[in-house]
Amino acid sequence: MNRSIRRSLYITSIFALVGAFCAIVWHGFTYAGAGSASVQRWIETATLLGTRNVVSSIYLGTRFLDSVLELLVFAVAVLGVRHFLDETAPGSTAEPPDPSSESHVVSAAARLMLPIVVLLGLYLAVHGHLSPGGGFSGGVVAASGLLMAAIAIGSAPVSRRLAPPTALERIEWSAMLLILALVVAPVAISLPPFSPLLPAGTVGRLASGGNVLPYNLLIAIKVFIGSWTVVQQFLRHRGGI
Amino acid sequence: MTNALVLLLPVVAGIALLQRRRLYAVIGMAVFSLLLAAVYLLAAAPDVAITEAAIGAALVTFIYVLALRKTGRLVVAASEVPGLIQREGDGISGLEWVILQRLAHAVGMDLVIRFVPHEEVGPMVLRGEADIAAGGLVASDIDQGVLVVPYPLPTARFRITGPASPGEQHAEPAGPPTGYFADLVDAVRSDEPVAVTLDLARFLALTRYDLSAYTVERMEGDLNYALLVSFGRVDLHAQLAELIDELDSTGRMERLIRRFVE
Amino acid sequence: MNGSIGIIVAISLFGVGTLGLILRRDLVIKLLALGLVNTSAILCLLSLDSQATSAPPLLVPAYTQQMIDPLPQALVLSAIVINFAILALALVFVMRIVEQYHTLDPQRVEHEVEEERR
Repeated sequence: MNRSIRRSLYITSIFALVGAFCAIVWHGFTYAGAGSASVQRWIETATLLGTRNVVSSIYLGTRFLDSVLELLVFAVAVLGVRHFLDETAPGSTAEPPDPSSESHVVSAAARLMLPIVVLLGLYLAVHGHLSPGGGFSGGVVAASGLLMAAIAIGSAPVSRRLAPPTALERIEWSAMLLILALVVAPVAISLPPFSPLLPAGTVGRLASGGNVLPYNLLIAIKVFIGSWTVVQQFLRHRGGI
Repeated sequence: MTNALVLLLPVVAGIALLQRRRLYAVIGMAVFSLLLAAVYLLAAAPDVAITEAAIGAALVTFIYVLALRKTGRLVVAASEVPGLIQREGDGISGLEWVILQRLAHAVGMDLVIRFVPHEEVGPMVLRGEADIAAGGLVASDIDQGVLVVPYPLPTARFRITGPASPGEQHAEPAGPPTGYFADLVDAVRSDEPVAVTLDLARFLALTRYDLSAYTVERMEGDLNYALLVSFGRVDLHAQLAELIDELDSTGRMERLIRRFVE
Repeated sequence: MNGSIGIIVAISLFGVGTLGLILRRDLVIKLLALGLVNTSAILCLLSLDSQATSAPPLLVPAYTQQMIDPLPQALVLSAIVINFAILALALVFVMRIVEQYHTLDPQRVEHEVEEERR
């Protein structure tokens, strides 16, 4: 079977499958009417936990196990990126290139915008239980702000002012350990693990929502350091695919 | 309105994945990510919209673009050969140096030359630490894993051995003793035993000194000098070949050869 | 957003991504297509209970309509972050392949691996 016949076979079979699924959905799919019953349940969970953002009460409250394991996956991926891109052959005289923009306008604008972006990320992380956002997006936004600064003035000055890489790694893993500690700690007071330690408070204030705020902060730190590590490794690599 | 935006999604994705250049495909997927974030927002999922915009549109695109870029420097690994590429005071001169300068000017990049021992030149290009290898390389020396650009300066191989002290076996010729040509010159000047295989330019530079104590044999074969380009820089290879053709056809190559080598 | 349209678009995005994965001969574009397949699954999850008028999942008295089901959104948040992490790692592997085999064509890479094994 030569190549072009195989190619057209792939295309037609995938089109046929997609078309079949779409036809099934269009004609036969009825919603189970999950609607109000389950939504009521989640609203009750959120009011019990004291957050305004119902989604954060789910993935940082009742289903926190998923988030912990997902953080572990993220950390392992960051570890992999750092390991595979960090090698410079011993005895080589070539140092990694440090791209930086030569334009003063760009570097001045980046220096001005960096604190604003990091503040925005911090705001997203801290107000995760009151408005959409949360630890994941907050950490990523802060890391992309650092990336903007690193593109403008070079990654070496930015990483020098931030922290040495070993310290960053330690902070990242201690944040992970703190999360695990907060998860397991209720056992000491004879409560099941994953139960909230901090009180629910009044809805709408910053100090509310049980464990959600500390979790958001720790997750933001972890995702921030992980994303910055990944981005820095990509910056220092010679590129050139 | 959300329905219209949602129906636009497969169209944008299809266009993005059908592009020829990788950079355009990555940018198309960034546009797709932004559109997707808007769809998420209009479908009453603000958390997901913020996360998708921050990660999909910003970080993933950054990472792909950083992986696809080419740095703005041309790194050349060279071993010093008088006449071809050598240090002169504070600067560098030589035939290959002139060619490399013109190439760097043509592609708009900075030229960075690293002088390394002769054996290191090939491996550096193979490892990707240098883009171009120069310094009197013969076209058949290293031919896998790199792109070869020969330039019209014929060369030959010379084997220099000796001086033989009685009872000492002839050692198999290798290269210059430590890889640096200057050390070979010192060895010859002080009449120390060497066993090397040299190309024409180095041999010519060596004939300035007294070679009466050494055995010199010229090996068979007509070879050409060449510059080696790392495999990841196919565009450089094309540009360098074009440049050398142009120099050759306008006669400047002959003038340069006369100026530097003879 | 009408739920059915969301699911249909998600399925067709899955198809586009799979076609791109099979038919394009460039490792980087294959990676982009893989990310697209991931994204299509996320979109499908999100549009399962979506009706044209739903309020976002915030306990704010300003929203009067029926609130959307918040569970898929919570599941999907982790999926997006994992998508990014895995894609970054895969891109690192692609870069190592380029360093070693000097090509982005998967058939040539297979060819060279076969040669090495022999």
